[in-house]
Amino acid sequence: MMRVLGLVSFLAFLYLLLPVLVVVGSALGETSYLAFPPHGLTLRWFAVALADPRYAHAFLTSLVVAAASTLAALLLGLPAAYALARFDFPGRRFVETALMMPLILPALVLSIALTLLFSRSGFTAGTARLVVAHLVICTPYVVRVALPVLQRLDVALEEAAQNLGASPLAGFLLVTLPAIRPGAIAAATLAFIVSFDDIDLAIFLADPRAPTLPVVIYSAIQLGIDPGVAAISALLVLLAGAGMATYQILLWRRQAA
Amino acid sequence: MDGKVEPRDRPLIQRRGAPVLLLAPVGALLLLLFVLPQAGMLAASLDAPRWSFAHYAHFLGDAHYLGVLGRSLLLGVLVVAVTLLLGLPLAYWLARLQSRWAPALLLLATFPLWISAVVRSFGWVVLLARSGLVSTALRDAGLVGRSFQLLYSMTGVVLALAQVLLPFMLLSLYGVIRAISPELERAAQNLGAGPLRAALLTTLPLAARGILSASLLVFALSVSAFATPSLVGGARVQLMSTTIYEQMTELADWPFAAAVAFILLAVVGFIAILYTRLGSGADGVARR
Repeated sequence: MMRVLGLVSFLAFLYLLLPVLVVVGSALGETSYLAFPPHGLTLRWFAVALADPRYAHAFLTSLVVAAASTLAALLLGLPAAYALARFDFPGRRFVETALMMPLILPALVLSIALTLLFSRSGFTAGTARLVVAHLVICTPYVVRVALPVLQRLDVALEEAAQNLGASPLAGFLLVTLPAIRPGAIAAATLAFIVSFDDIDLAIFLADPRAPTLPVVIYSAIQLGIDPGVAAISALLVLLAGAGMATYQILLWRRQAA
Repeated sequence: MDGKVEPRDRPLIQRRGAPVLLLAPVGALLLLLFVLPQAGMLAASLDAPRWSFAHYAHFLGDAHYLGVLGRSLLLGVLVVAVTLLLGLPLAYWLARLQSRWAPALLLLATFPLWISAVVRSFGWVVLLARSGLVSTALRDAGLVGRSFQLLYSMTGVVLALAQVLLPFMLLSLYGVIRAISPELERAAQNLGAGPLRAALLTTLPLAARGILSASLLVFALSVSAFATPSLVGGARVQLMSTTIYEQMTELADWPFAAAVAFILLAVVGFIAILYTRLGSGADGVARR
């Protein structure tokens, strides 16, 4: 039975990874229309994409938005996760469930709702709008990842620090935070990816003069695909691949240590 | 609940107000930027302050829009079916794999989640187009006609969306199956059951709750998905999300867009309530 399962699993992996490989493959073709498998091999389209200031600007905007949202989501999410892990108070289960709602309810609906709110309140232009919107979907991920890590952490560590004279805040910063660092890194990684990859919120809330990379790619695909779009998409796939490989290597290192 | 450690009864920070203080920023964020805007959207869909159900009546009285709602629900069912069909064997195989590579393989399976929906859909557009690999293969096999393509079809949207959501199904089911001891299957096999029968009679019933929970999650995410249906389905596959987008941008009918958005929110909200009631499913296993 394991052999049949192995075969089905192999097909499932092929299904999961083929479309991603196609993105990289089709960017390597020599033809100015897209083909997979590619005809001939060239890196020309990567040069074209990298020389295009639209993509460079959009990439920078995406980086700034994702970095700002991630930082703010950590600042809001880690204390919340700490409160949920350490204290028992009436309504704790409700708060925990409520915090997960932005993860399962449609981001597109939130996008419409925020667009209506922002346009009515006159908060119309600029990238800050998108950062604020991304904060709503990134913070729950931080809580979700950090909460189990904090729950597993022994409370005695912090008590020891306080017995040695540290204030609660110093105890948190010097003892708790280093101890949950892997969890905090995982939370930050997830928040960054969620913001960097988002299209549902960005399509309505990004500054039209400074769109994020997914918005630029979305519009480019609708206008008709050219190898420049393929190249920039391929670069994103390679970047994500490098990120995932780094993550796995760090995990192995930790296990070895 | 589950295997989580219960919060200690000796609070570190002795002040009573500490949790309130720590949770206040997140609470304010969700209230101001999650609850308030969606409440505002509901008001806009009801033509506040005049208040009327006209937009809802328009939606519910029009066969075209009811078809759109039905198609979105059908999409959810089909995507759940595909992800279950592939995800259940894959999760079982990975959970029972005696290899140090199993965690790395699990991470590799989540690769689609690391990439923007826009980029992933782009890969599907290339694959499903008339000259693409999948459509060409089907034509060469003589299974379909010459003008056949999967791009801009419901089948194409299901294929592309199920790939994106398969990792969610896999991660949920992996946790559920890992929580079930393989000893049960071994016992069943000792009593004369074959390996498949043993798995179906012991592990599957124990995993049922987790399977239902994972299916609800994938259903909710399928019904809400926007980028993939929009790029792979185009104007030919009208769904709730693409209708909302069209009403907002091309027709600029914001109150009607708000009404459609609220109907979608109500559908997904209902699923979300069932999902939270059910728990992740792994808890259910641990309790037995």
